[in-house]
Amino acid sequence: MEVSFSKEIEALRLKAGDTFHGEGILAITKALLQSGVSYVGGYQGAPVSHLLDVMVQAKPYMDELGVHVEACSNEASAAAMLGASIHYPLRGAVTWKSIVGTNVAADALSNLSSPGVKGGVLIVVGEDYGEGASVIQERTHAYALKSSMCLLDPRPDLGVMVNMVEHGFRLSEHSNMPCIMELRIRTCHVRGSFDCKDNQPPLVSTRALMENPAGFDYMRLAHPPVTFRHEKLKGDERLPAARRYIAENKLNEHFPGKHEGVGLIVQGGLYNALMRSLQQLGLADAFGATDIPMLVLNVAYPIVPEEVADFCVGKEGVLVVEEGQPEYIEQEIATLLRRRDIQTPLHGCDLLPAAGEYGVEVLSTGLAKFVARYLPEHSQDSAKGWLAGNQDRRAAVATQLETPLPNRPPSFCVGCPERPVFSALKLAQQDSGPVHIAADIGCHAFGTFEPFSMGHSILGYGMSLASRAGVSPMMQRRTLSIMGDGGFWHNGLLTGVQSALFNGDDAVLLIFKNGYTSATGTQDIISTPDDEVKERAVDKQQSLVDKNNTIESTLQGLGVKWLRTVHTYHVDQMRATLNEAFTSDFDGLKVIIAEGECQLERQRRMKPWIASLLKKGKRVVRVKYGVDEDVCNGDHACIRLSGCPTLTLKDNPDPLKVDPVATVIDGCVGCGLCGANAHAATLCPSFYRAEVVQNPKWHERLLHSLRGAVVRALQPA
Amino acid sequence: MNKTQPITLLVCALGGEGGGVLTEWLVDIARHAGYAAQSTSIPGVAQRTGATTYYIEVFPVPLAELGGRKPIFSLSPVPGALDAIISSELLETVRQIGNGMSAPQRTLVISSSSRTFTTAERMQPGDGRADATRLLDVIKSFSREHHVFDMGAAAREAGTIVSAVMLGAIAGSGLFPFPREAYETVVRGGDTSAPEKVSKMAAASLRGFAKAFDAVNGPREQAALVSRLMASTPEDTLPAHALPDSVANRFPPQLRGMLALGHARVLDYQDAAYADLYVERLQKVLEAERMSDPSAAGGFEVTHEMARWLALWMAFDDIVRVAELKSRRSRAERVRGEVKAGDDDIVKVYDHFKPGAPEFAALMPKPLARRITAWDRRRQSPWALPLQVGSHSVFGMASLRLLSSLRWLRKRGSRFAEEQALIERWLAAVVAGTRTDWALGHQIALCGRLIKGYGSTNERGKENLLHVIDHLAAAPLPDGSPAVRAQAIAAAREAALSDDAGKALDAALVRHGAPARPVKAQPIRWMKRPRAGAAAGARAGTTGV
Repeated sequence: MEVSFSKEIEALRLKAGDTFHGEGILAITKALLQSGVSYVGGYQGAPVSHLLDVMVQAKPYMDELGVHVEACSNEASAAAMLGASIHYPLRGAVTWKSIVGTNVAADALSNLSSPGVKGGVLIVVGEDYGEGASVIQERTHAYALKSSMCLLDPRPDLGVMVNMVEHGFRLSEHSNMPCIMELRIRTCHVRGSFDCKDNQPPLVSTRALMENPAGFDYMRLAHPPVTFRHEKLKGDERLPAARRYIAENKLNEHFPGKHEGVGLIVQGGLYNALMRSLQQLGLADAFGATDIPMLVLNVAYPIVPEEVADFCVGKEGVLVVEEGQPEYIEQEIATLLRRRDIQTPLHGCDLLPAAGEYGVEVLSTGLAKFVARYLPEHSQDSAKGWLAGNQDRRAAVATQLETPLPNRPPSFCVGCPERPVFSALKLAQQDSGPVHIAADIGCHAFGTFEPFSMGHSILGYGMSLASRAGVSPMMQRRTLSIMGDGGFWHNGLLTGVQSALFNGDDAVLLIFKNGYTSATGTQDIISTPDDEVKERAVDKQQSLVDKNNTIESTLQGLGVKWLRTVHTYHVDQMRATLNEAFTSDFDGLKVIIAEGECQLERQRRMKPWIASLLKKGKRVVRVKYGVDEDVCNGDHACIRLSGCPTLTLKDNPDPLKVDPVATVIDGCVGCGLCGANAHAATLCPSFYRAEVVQNPKWHERLLHSLRGAVVRALQPA
Repeated sequence: MNKTQPITLLVCALGGEGGGVLTEWLVDIARHAGYAAQSTSIPGVAQRTGATTYYIEVFPVPLAELGGRKPIFSLSPVPGALDAIISSELLETVRQIGNGMSAPQRTLVISSSSRTFTTAERMQPGDGRADATRLLDVIKSFSREHHVFDMGAAAREAGTIVSAVMLGAIAGSGLFPFPREAYETVVRGGDTSAPEKVSKMAAASLRGFAKAFDAVNGPREQAALVSRLMASTPEDTLPAHALPDSVANRFPPQLRGMLALGHARVLDYQDAAYADLYVERLQKVLEAERMSDPSAAGGFEVTHEMARWLALWMAFDDIVRVAELKSRRSRAERVRGEVKAGDDDIVKVYDHFKPGAPEFAALMPKPLARRITAWDRRRQSPWALPLQVGSHSVFGMASLRLLSSLRWLRKRGSRFAEEQALIERWLAAVVAGTRTDWALGHQIALCGRLIKGYGSTNERGKENLLHVIDHLAAAPLPDGSPAVRAQAIAAAREAALSDDAGKALDAALVRHGAPARPVKAQPIRWMKRPRAGAAAGARAGTTGV
């Protein structure tokens, strides 16, 4: 795993009276233990990866408590795990990145929600929406509505969030509904504190096992005819029970204000941004005292009609602050007001944008309109000046810069083993012509950015091979599907490989075998090299992914006949293999396994090893590549074929030349791509590979000094 | 300071620069100092070398004095409501200012002067780098106060990562109501023991912290850093090379610097006779320029640029030249420095060569050369010899010296003749152009920039240059006036330097009424579909590149 959580694991042990200081997502993790959770599962993905990562690394302590932790193969298996709480009084929690993860889990979630749960179920989803998001912009809210699950959206205060976790389990048990807790990106990474309680060892646990299975109960099956009964139960019993619990325990917060004629109804998660907007407009202080009454929905679904009605009745205007589209909450409130014939004017997406994150500036712009309309006596001059000022400055900077600034998207790490494959692919397309490339989710998706700009479609995690099934039959040239080992195990094996084999498709699949789900923080998967292998390895620098052949044997077992394994740094060989796959007579699925261990993991292994060797005064060889500034032709073809952050530019030292030359800066890990590309693409001869031998042996020194003498004799100044 | 609202700080960093550690430090410092604070971030995949930001708010009144009230902090930075922005990369600073984050009446901007070039800047065939002075101007005009210094260098000198330097800068700026000790204690990891006792890593962090603290705290030193940064380009300070008076006297003084460099280059490349040819060619240009610009209003810019580009083309790169450059002692020393080798370390240097048939044919007389290239063309893929020559080894160095001794052969080789012919064509175009119109000649001269490098890069450059000359300098155009031609050539040159595929160049050519470059036939291996016999016809085809 990329990060070590030793400090965070200590925080999980905190007791009543202690104060927890740290990230939101870790506060949630601690809250799960305080709530007596029996089992935890999930699939990694920003912004919630840490929840599972910490629990996995905290295995010994989890065993102490009797909590079972499962790193699931995908979100569907995580959701299915919740089935344990249908029959048994087990509190279970799972986590994943939403919307994508919830999409994958949807089937199991429907079948969980229909019979309902006995033990409390909490699904912690990272609402990957707005700035910093890496997925399509959709709302998890829709799933809560269609499957009748409660949706918690606590305001981003660690104390409140922790509280809502504990309430979430109880709410789930009271209503038999699974609860989803949606946490926005910044909420997961917010650093704050809360007062701890003792962790609750679960009543039923890996240390206190159940004796017997539950008796047969058809009502617990998601199977007709009881599914029809389940649907009625949702409306007749579960939602009312949930609403009762929410109201009785005051999960939603009502903040009064002096302007009683108006009101704001806001999703809990947006509370802080709205408070800051009110401050900017001079309608609140820094401590949450607001002039406009506010109803904060820490539970976004179900709405408690009475709460909302009581809040709205008699007001001249109410603004619903709800992020993302469609505006489900606003619509529900409109309906309930209409049904009760409450005439309070309702605003929302008429004053606020329907799409995009609700930052303070966006909120203030909408809020200003609302205030201008209902509180005309309130002066907004300073706020108006501030908003206008922002616009003017943006325009002014744009004009001063003339050309817009280049973007800086993420890219392959220094020494990433996936970069060379895209170099080879760029070259192969010069030989075999351009191909349709079905891209996928994972680090390799960086291949869609410059300098490679490759990939025609991304249909989901592990979907690349499946997503070309309609393309390849329609095209003269073969298509290429790119998939990571993460995506392969997440579902590419079944949706892609199995389907292509069954249909006898003529397709080319390239699997990046780097050994981990690297984009999410290098979590282990079934094809990760074993720890013993890493222990035994004499040379800690070498890639070890070849020591685990689960992918190869799986493919062969499934019936893949054309299978090639190529080390990614052999650009020439990879180019030839791609060409062979694109042009071979073999009619069927052709799989190329691009083998090369994730550089992040290798570095984690190497750094301490090298340090210890140097400490002992042992021989160490450090490799660095370089460019001869007087030989470099300043055309930068090498950069267009690599994009490595350490292969960059510097002013041309030759006063005659004007274009900058390429240079390799500190941080180069000597991966070898520069040399491989120089040969594969016949780049200019300016690249050199330097091997720096530290603490050389005596005979090495001797040889070197003799050799050096002769070489110097041959050298001109 | 306004005591009723939080102090707000936006941190801009690149993935892997320790921005997370920095914010954690700041929150801990605030906590130990007894202040309410909050930080947020949006790392995600940006951790993979992308641009990302962190945001911190601290309430300026100690918790103890708040009577149990808790400030509500914002999770995201508010444009125009920031007290400070600190950034480890110049362009990212300006990006945030461009987003409206910095308010000239309120925001303090602390930025590194160092650039980490984006891929888009690095990948261009010419110079795609953003103009640093322009970036600095934006910082100046949109900040209440600004401190700009090289945080990367400070970190390197201190042997730490940039986050420690940024922390020092924040502390030095006095943005937060915390004493210096409060910061240093947390960097030490809470370890309050004497500085000499703390861990190596913490010590390095403290060094970086101190450097930045002083840089921001001591304005004079800091101003010096900026002015050093604003120092102008090396262009106007050309080293004087020995230039024979016989040559020097034939040219106006303002040309002598560039002329000396060019002359020295050509002499070093081949021999005195070749250097004389250089001077001779340059004189033709000078005559033409004197004719079209007798008052020298243009400051002899045409000849000046020709002195540059002509020398570079005449000293075209070939294996002999490369072998010579790679076998110099100065080069071996430079490499030792670049790889930061210790005195006792052994450095082995392997040079990557891949000479192809053309490289060898270049040194052969025409008939033989033609036979070699013909043979090479017949092959399915061109022949080339991948080599890793250990220039630290006796054999490696000996072979390099052997190659570099083939200078005499170069002059008799086929490529030499070809290059001379092309140079003459270009020269003629420049002379003719200058005669008709100074600006036109100047633009054609500047096209020398298109000629660079080896193999396909070099070929492409020459084809582009000739195409531009043939169709924009001479051939009839819708509007053939010299001024329009000059503009067209300038546009075409810029386009040619912006993408190697030449799409931009073709577009520019067509836009000015000239034909796009002819589509070049390139053999590709065609996939024949085992099924669908209908399509199985095409085995080998060609496609435009």
